[in-house]
Amino acid sequence: MSLLEVEDVHTYYGESHVLEGVSLEVEAGEVVALVGRNGVGKTTTLRSILQLTPPREGDVRYDGESLVGLETHEVADRGVGWIPEDRRVFAHLTVEENVRLSVPPGSDEEAGLETAYEAFPDLREFADREAGTLSGGQQQMLSIARGLVNENDLLLVDEPSEGLAPLIVENVAESLQSVAEDTTLLLVEQNLPLALDLADRFYVVDHGQVVDEGSTEGVTTDDERFERLSA
Amino acid sequence: MTGALATVVEVFVSGMAKASLYAMMALGLTLIFGLLGVLNFAHGSLTMVGAYVAGLVMVTFAAGSSGLGAVVWFVVAALVATTLVGGVGAAMEVGLIRKLYDRPPIYQILLTFGVTLVLDELMRIVVLFYGQQPRADWRAALGTKPSFVDGNVSVLGASIPALELFEVAFGVLVVVAVWAFLTQTRYGLVVRAGSEDDEMASALGVDVRRVFTVVFALGAGLAGLAGALLMWDPAWGASVPLASETLLPAFVVVIVGGLGTFRGTVIAAVLVGMVDGVTTYFFNEGIITFSGISELMIFLILVGVLVVRPQGIAGQAEVGGH
Repeated sequence: MSLLEVEDVHTYYGESHVLEGVSLEVEAGEVVALVGRNGVGKTTTLRSILQLTPPREGDVRYDGESLVGLETHEVADRGVGWIPEDRRVFAHLTVEENVRLSVPPGSDEEAGLETAYEAFPDLREFADREAGTLSGGQQQMLSIARGLVNENDLLLVDEPSEGLAPLIVENVAESLQSVAEDTTLLLVEQNLPLALDLADRFYVVDHGQVVDEGSTEGVTTDDERFERLSA
Repeated sequence: MTGALATVVEVFVSGMAKASLYAMMALGLTLIFGLLGVLNFAHGSLTMVGAYVAGLVMVTFAAGSSGLGAVVWFVVAALVATTLVGGVGAAMEVGLIRKLYDRPPIYQILLTFGVTLVLDELMRIVVLFYGQQPRADWRAALGTKPSFVDGNVSVLGASIPALELFEVAFGVLVVVAVWAFLTQTRYGLVVRAGSEDDEMASALGVDVRRVFTVVFALGAGLAGLAGALLMWDPAWGASVPLASETLLPAFVVVIVGGLGTFRGTVIAAVLVGMVDGVTTYFFNEGIITFSGISELMIFLILVGVLVVRPQGIAGQAEVGGH
């Protein structure tokens, strides 16, 4: 049994049929990349798993249990976390408050803060600053730190390199590699070299469907399967 | 010189007392808008219900008590009004408003306006049933005011109505309590996060729906608490028109402060309260003879803020909503 099973999921925005039968599986401990062009349904797949945009048909199973019909906070309680594409830090909360909020109730907030600051030492320096005043790279670090202390077994990571300078992207990639040592990742990423570097396997999404899949081992961006996407 | 200082102190305390009342009327409204994005037009009616409920407790149990006994009964009355009106708020959110979150704001406005009509008419019927006049202040409730808030106190040579000092103390206490809740507790942190991005908060494991209910109950409870304070004030008193009389200034304070912002609401309440206090003094002294000068000045502040800074003193261009 896979940690995450997405089976023939159909999701709509109003009358717009966005996911037309997406199926994929993620094993515990894996890093799986969802790749594809803009607007093909990668982010909607993550939103459907989280029940932020619940699917109308199909099933999403986590650790064997269906997530369909649950509230998003109940999905999060089961250990599924989210690092969204535009970071979405709470701009008017301080860095420390952003991290504290992400520590699950009942867990040690101070220990959570230490975990975040050990992973991202810069955040300690900005602990009392409003998160909205941080740079894009710093906000991405905070977003990953939130996912880290949220005690998830599976993290859904959406476009972590979007809008960041190449040097910052390298830092983000290192951070995600570190997170992946303890956490399963389902990664949406348009930066193909980064996706292939981080992931064990990949799914190619096009027009709301999975059109290709495979192991990333030995695959390069020159692979004919990606040429179409890179173009 | 002493006379001038006494006048300044009198006007200042009078303004701060009004500021306290305005802050209490507006805080619940701004909390609800900040998190839920709902403009609750029933807020004034909830204040009015709070005034009657607190008055009922005082008239029934505290008539004739004085000193500490009266204070204890006032605390009980305030708690009963806060809890009961908070419960009404929770029922409103769960039973009515929750169904409309995905609709345009006009649905929520119409719904809460409908609730205000229902509450006002219900209270009118109940009050008439007991032989009272709905439009007149409930004298029995006004009469439960204990002697220590009935007289005047001398401060720096000024003769200050004790009720005004009581209102200032009570208002400061409530503002500090709400501030402490929002900034010093985990639930407050959850509320502030949910106000910014309820979807992200839910993805971090926050049961946003339950937070919505709690905040609506808290906002409504604050309206009830404001009612408990207003029942003793001769300028307000428990009456059915209290609903509309309090809704308008509450909206002005919330808009001037910036919709959904705690800090802005408190600053705006002080600003509006002080302007009200000063203009009332000028009218009472015969310097200005237009009786509606306070209301005029308050609405001029509103117009000025809307023209110069439409988002309010501490507001952002866009706040609240989903």
